[in-house]
Amino acid sequence: MKIYFTTIDGKSKGMYALLSVLAVIAAAGMYATYAMFSQGHYITGMNNQIPWGLPIVVAIYCIGLSAGSLVLSALSAVFGQKEFKPFARIAVFVAALLLVGSLLSIILDWGRPDRVMLPFLYLNPRSIFSWNGFLYSSYIFICIVYLWAMFTGRDAWIKPMGIIAVIWAVGVHSGTGAIFGFINARELYHSPLASPTFVTAALSSGTALMILILVSTFKATGRFLDNRLIIGLAKLLGPFILVVLYFVIVEYVVRLYTPSTYEPTSFVLFGGNIYTYIFWVGLILIGSIIPCIILFNPLTKNSVPWIMFASLLVVIGVFCERLIFVLPGQVFPLNLFPDMEMTSDFMDGVITWYQVSLPEIAQGLGILSIVAILYIIGLKLFALLPSEARHLEHEL
Amino acid sequence: MKRRDFLKAGGILAAAGAVSPASSLLHAGKVETANVNKYGMVIDLTRCDGCGECASACRIANNVATFPDKKIDNHLLRIARVKSKFPNSQEQAIPLMCMHCDHPPCVHVCPVKASFVRKDGIVLIDKHRCIGCRYCMVACPYKARSFVFKHHEGSSNLELPKTMHGVVEKCDFCVNRVDHGQIPVCVETCKKGAMSFGNLNDKDSRVSRLIASGRVHRVREDLHLGAKVYYLGL
Repeated sequence: MKIYFTTIDGKSKGMYALLSVLAVIAAAGMYATYAMFSQGHYITGMNNQIPWGLPIVVAIYCIGLSAGSLVLSALSAVFGQKEFKPFARIAVFVAALLLVGSLLSIILDWGRPDRVMLPFLYLNPRSIFSWNGFLYSSYIFICIVYLWAMFTGRDAWIKPMGIIAVIWAVGVHSGTGAIFGFINARELYHSPLASPTFVTAALSSGTALMILILVSTFKATGRFLDNRLIIGLAKLLGPFILVVLYFVIVEYVVRLYTPSTYEPTSFVLFGGNIYTYIFWVGLILIGSIIPCIILFNPLTKNSVPWIMFASLLVVIGVFCERLIFVLPGQVFPLNLFPDMEMTSDFMDGVITWYQVSLPEIAQGLGILSIVAILYIIGLKLFALLPSEARHLEHEL
Repeated sequence: MKRRDFLKAGGILAAAGAVSPASSLLHAGKVETANVNKYGMVIDLTRCDGCGECASACRIANNVATFPDKKIDNHLLRIARVKSKFPNSQEQAIPLMCMHCDHPPCVHVCPVKASFVRKDGIVLIDKHRCIGCRYCMVACPYKARSFVFKHHEGSSNLELPKTMHGVVEKCDFCVNRVDHGQIPVCVETCKKGAMSFGNLNDKDSRVSRLIASGRVHRVREDLHLGAKVYYLGL
């Protein structure tokens, strides 16, 4: 089977309209970032109790989406699922772009982004951040080499590069989970399950995002996309969601069972606050149960619109999972004197709510818009998209 | 002198020149480790009434970024008020600061080694290297670190550099005073004599004797961080 990859025409009015809307959002995001540095970071929702806010959530979310879409590319190259070969290029390209987005989000979140080269100059082998700096940047490099091998037709390179990319994706994700899992000080962070949960959530959200991107891109460019390919991807998505759900259940049951972590865990699960709703409605209901019903129900599992809907819910649900991962661990006060009551002028012993601010939202949306703009430009410059994506059986 | 002899002599001289600073460094290292100081603090909570004068003195002496908004107001030293959940239990005032751990999580997580442990055990931040990622604030179990959320005008102590927007700051045991043979400003300020500062490696120092009494505890000893701030009556 021969697959022809072509660039998009990119001269339609709709595309220019889309590009200009994205450019406006990106500009607003950049202005918000400028305001953070000129006026001070107090205009964000972060404070001394909650040093990490929405930018970190966006960053780890983008990393997840990235690793997931890369695995999709490897399906054909490494795992022998040849029917997904038409998506190989576009999946790697999206993976690299999302990682650029997450790096932007992390670096612009720093107090001093002008010192961006220092993590490469002063490596700290005990710091998982230091490892991640190396993992993320080399991951982009691997994606580029992988793409180059596919573009130049170096078939001997494709499989080894795919294997390296999958291993790297697992490493990148374990590293991202370990940022939180390694923190002994916070009951809601410290966990050996953090890394595997991140890897599986990456697979589910990445696959879901690729379904959304593929269907909308093929539709917008008027190219043929075989429904059976999307149904094939949806068959992967269902089990991924269940594995994430299983890890989440194990994690929270252990924390509820343990007296020392009972209080913060019940704050999240039964506190009746925003995190309770994000957990039960966002993560469990919207992110897991409804998509599973759609994806395992014989009436809906072969319908592309239903699969699209389920994918959208998964993408939202995994964002909620990231919020639950990052925020409650900081909102719930640190326990300096276990089993005692503590107060001070420094917000000790009281719950400090994280109120997300407009600049942070603008920055996050701006970064996602930059990723989208780069995606469209990439489609126009490089032959990433197949002229048509047919299932293998058409050839037989 | 022949050309060969000249080269030989030059070579020997150069080698000697190269070796001598290296050997002197080795020597210096040995001398230093033999009687290096290891600083620590003991706070007698039975004497502390929580007046907070140590915290105010610290704020002025260390150019702490001070803002009316409590959420971004920085604290290098704060007075916590702790009581048990038992009804009508007495409140205890506990001054809290950086505990200068032997195994500090903040230093472990710092991606640029801006946080580091000095030879004498003091945990410091190089604020010209800090990238402001705030991972250390997430990792510190004592909440000893604050981020400078905006530009802070003016400085109360002209001998020290001003605060810097976008980096993390914390208690450094008044390292500039310690290096000039003085004690930290909180210890000096405390009128009740509740705080003592000194060399933990010196068996006869006041802090060593207090710790040797066996009645001291540290905050969150369960984390095995080797904190060097001890509390009497905790």
